[in-house]
Amino acid sequence: MINVRTLEPGTRVALTDGSTVEIVSNPKDGIWVFARYLSSPRDTSLVGTEEMVFAQDMVEIQTTP
Amino acid sequence: MAIAGKRRYTGGLVDVAAGQISREIFVSDEIYAEELERVFTRAWLFVGHESQIPKPGDYFVSGMGEESVILCRDREDRVHVFLNSCRHRGMKVCRYDEGNTPVFTCPYHGWSYATDGKLVGVPYFREAYHSKLDRSQFGLVEVAQLEIYKGTVWATWDPSAPSFLEYLGEFRRYLDLALDAWDGREGGTEVLGGVQKWLIPCNWKFPAENFSGDSYHNISHRSVDLVGIGPSGSGRRDMRERLIGRRLQICFPDRGHQTGAYVLPNEEPTPPAYQHSPVVSEYFRRCEEQRRERLGAWGRVTGAPGELFPNTALHPRQPRSIAVWHPRGAHRTEVWRWYLVDADAPPEVKDFLRQYYIRYSGPAGLTEQDDMENWNYAHAASRGTIARRHPYSYEQGLGFEVENYEWEGLRIPGTVMDVTDSKSSEHNLRNFYRRWAQFMDANSWDELATWRRRP
Amino acid sequence: MADQREAMAQLFLERDVENFLYHEAELLDERRYEEWLDLLADDVRYWMPMRRNVKLGELEREFTREGQDVNWFDEGKDTLERRVQQILTGVHWAEEPLSRICHMISNVQLLAVTPSVLEPADVTVKSRFLIYRNRVETETDILVGKREDGLRRVDGHWKISRRKVVLDQSVLLSKNLTFFF
Ligand code: FES
Ligand SMILES: [Fe+2]
Repeated sequence: MINVRTLEPGTRVALTDGSTVEIVSNPKDGIWVFARYLSSPRDTSLVGTEEMVFAQDMVEIQTTP
Repeated sequence: MAIAGKRRYTGGLVDVAAGQISREIFVSDEIYAEELERVFTRAWLFVGHESQIPKPGDYFVSGMGEESVILCRDREDRVHVFLNSCRHRGMKVCRYDEGNTPVFTCPYHGWSYATDGKLVGVPYFREAYHSKLDRSQFGLVEVAQLEIYKGTVWATWDPSAPSFLEYLGEFRRYLDLALDAWDGREGGTEVLGGVQKWLIPCNWKFPAENFSGDSYHNISHRSVDLVGIGPSGSGRRDMRERLIGRRLQICFPDRGHQTGAYVLPNEEPTPPAYQHSPVVSEYFRRCEEQRRERLGAWGRVTGAPGELFPNTALHPRQPRSIAVWHPRGAHRTEVWRWYLVDADAPPEVKDFLRQYYIRYSGPAGLTEQDDMENWNYAHAASRGTIARRHPYSYEQGLGFEVENYEWEGLRIPGTVMDVTDSKSSEHNLRNFYRRWAQFMDANSWDELATWRRRP
Repeated sequence: MADQREAMAQLFLERDVENFLYHEAELLDERRYEEWLDLLADDVRYWMPMRRNVKLGELEREFTREGQDVNWFDEGKDTLERRVQQILTGVHWAEEPLSRICHMISNVQLLAVTPSVLEPADVTVKSRFLIYRNRVETETDILVGKREDGLRRVDGHWKISRRKVVLDQSVLLSKNLTFFF
C-alpha cells in the first residue's frame, strides 16, 4: 500500500482503473494528490488533464516508465 | 425564579436603571444557550490578525462563540473565515493550530476543500455519487461578513448586521489606540508570535465586564503592586498620567462598546515611562512627541482597558494586547490572547515589551493570576439556589454620566464619566449589560441598529 | 581500572543530581520558597514555551521560541524572586490560601556532563514531572511534562542555571500558573 503523503512530484502511479498518472504536486494530506493522466483505458480524453487523485484509487508506484 | 417562558431581559433580569443585574444571566445554562444564538451569531467577533497569515495558503484556526473557524488566505490572496466542520458529516477539517496548505482535507471520508472554501475533492464522486452531487452547494460554510481593520480580522455570521465600521461607530477612535503605531501612524502594529490559550472556570461575562472598566478592583492587585513588575521598575504599570490628567470612563450606549482613557493637559508633555530601560524609554518619548504633533489635541488621549461588544477586550497601552473570551458553556471561558507591538520598533523595544507582557498578563502573569481567582470563585459562589435570588449591584455613579464631555478644549466622543475625583464608577459595566440585554431581547438587527432611527 | 572509576563516578553523579532534584521538589512542596530561590544561579533562565498542533514534518513550529515569542514563562531570577515575594505578601489571592502542591519527579537522565564525569562542572539533566495542585476545596490540577535543566557546580553545590519546562498541553487546562515547575 502506498503512503501517498510521501509521493514526490514526477512519480508515476498506476490506478485501479488501469490508468497511469504522474504526480504534479502533493498537498501531503495523505488522501489526495494532484496528478496528470498519462494514459487511461477508461476515458482517453483524460490524458494530459490534471485531476485530484484519491489514495484508495492508487495501486502501485511504477518504477520503470 | 422561573427562567422558562418569554420575558424581557431589559428592565427585568438586567435592570440597568436600578443598577441591578440577576445572577441568572451568568449561571443559567438555559440563558447561556440563548445567548450563543442571540449574541454570538449576530455580533461582530474578533478572529485574528492578518500578520498571522501573510502568504497564500497560510491558515490560523480560531474560534467564534463556541465554534472552531479557519482563518485563511486563498491562492488569490483573499482572506476567508470558514466554519471548521466538514459538510459531509461534520468532522473538523483542520485540527492543526496553524500552517500552510493548498487544501483542507477531511480525515473522516476524505472530502477536500480548497483554501477558497470550494469542495474540490469527493472520493468516488463518479462511482458512488454517479457524478450527481452538486459540489458547488457543499463548500465550507463561510462567515456572512468579514472585515480587515488595521490588520485585525473581524467576522459575523449575520448577513443583516451593519458593516464593521458602522458596528464600531465612534468607538473606532479608541480601537485605534490599540492598533495604531505608538507615534500615531495608522495601523503599524503586529502581533508577537504565540497566542496564549487557557481555560477559566467562570462565565465569559466576568472577564468581559472586568475589561469594560472595572477599575474598582485595583485593590485585588495589591500583591503585584507591592512587589513591582512595572516597566519603570515599580507598581504594575506607568501611572503618572493619573497625577496630571483626567481619568475617564467612556461608553457608547447604542453600540455596547466601552473603555477607560486618560486625557492629559494641553500644556504638559506626556510623562516619562518605561524607565527601566533607557533605550525603551527614549523610544516612547520620541513616539509620544511625534504622536502629539501628528494627532494634535487627540494625541493627549491615552488608552486604558476596554471591551468591544461582546467578547473582545482591548488593552491599548500597558500591556498592549487583545483578548477574546470564548464561551465554553455557562461555567467556563477559554481565553485567547494576542500581544501587539509596533511593527518597526527596534528589537530591544519589542523584547522589553514582550517580557513585560508575559510577566503581567495571562495565566502566568503576576497581575492577572488574581483576576482568574476572583472570576472563578465569584462564579462558583453565584450558582446556588439562594445565591441566584440576589442580584449583583451595579449602582456606582448611577446618574452621573455626561454627554459632550470636554476638557481643556478636547471633546471626548461617547458618554463619559470623569472618575478623576470619584475614583470609580460602574458606568461602563452597565453599558455592557444594557447592550447585552438588547441583543437578548431583539429579534433582528433592525431593532438593534437604533442609531439608524435617529432623524 | 580507569573505565570502572568512570562508571562509578557516573553512578555517583546520577544519584547526586537526582538527590538535588528531589531536594528542590521538597523545598517547593514544603513552601520553603526562599531556600528554593537559593538553588537558582543569579543568571538563571526559566523558560516554558507554549505548544501548537502542527503537521508532521513541521514540528519545528510546535514550540514558541525562547527570547522571541510569547511563552508561558520566559524570565530570569528577578521575576522569579518577585513571584515568591508576591506569594509571601499574603494578599496574592490566587495563592492565598496557599495551594497544596506535590511535585513528582522521575525519569532522571543525564544528557551531558562537562568537562567530565570525574570533575563535573555543568550537567544537562532531563526529567519528567507530575505536579498535583489542589486548592481551596475541590479545585484540582494535574500538570504533566518534561524538564530540561542546566545545573552548574558552584562552591561545591549545584545551582540551576537553566530550566526548560515542556508541558504536555496546548490549551492550558489550568486557570493560572501561580506555582513553580
Ligand atoms: S465527515 Fe468529512 S468527509 Fe465525511
Ligand atoms: Fe485585573
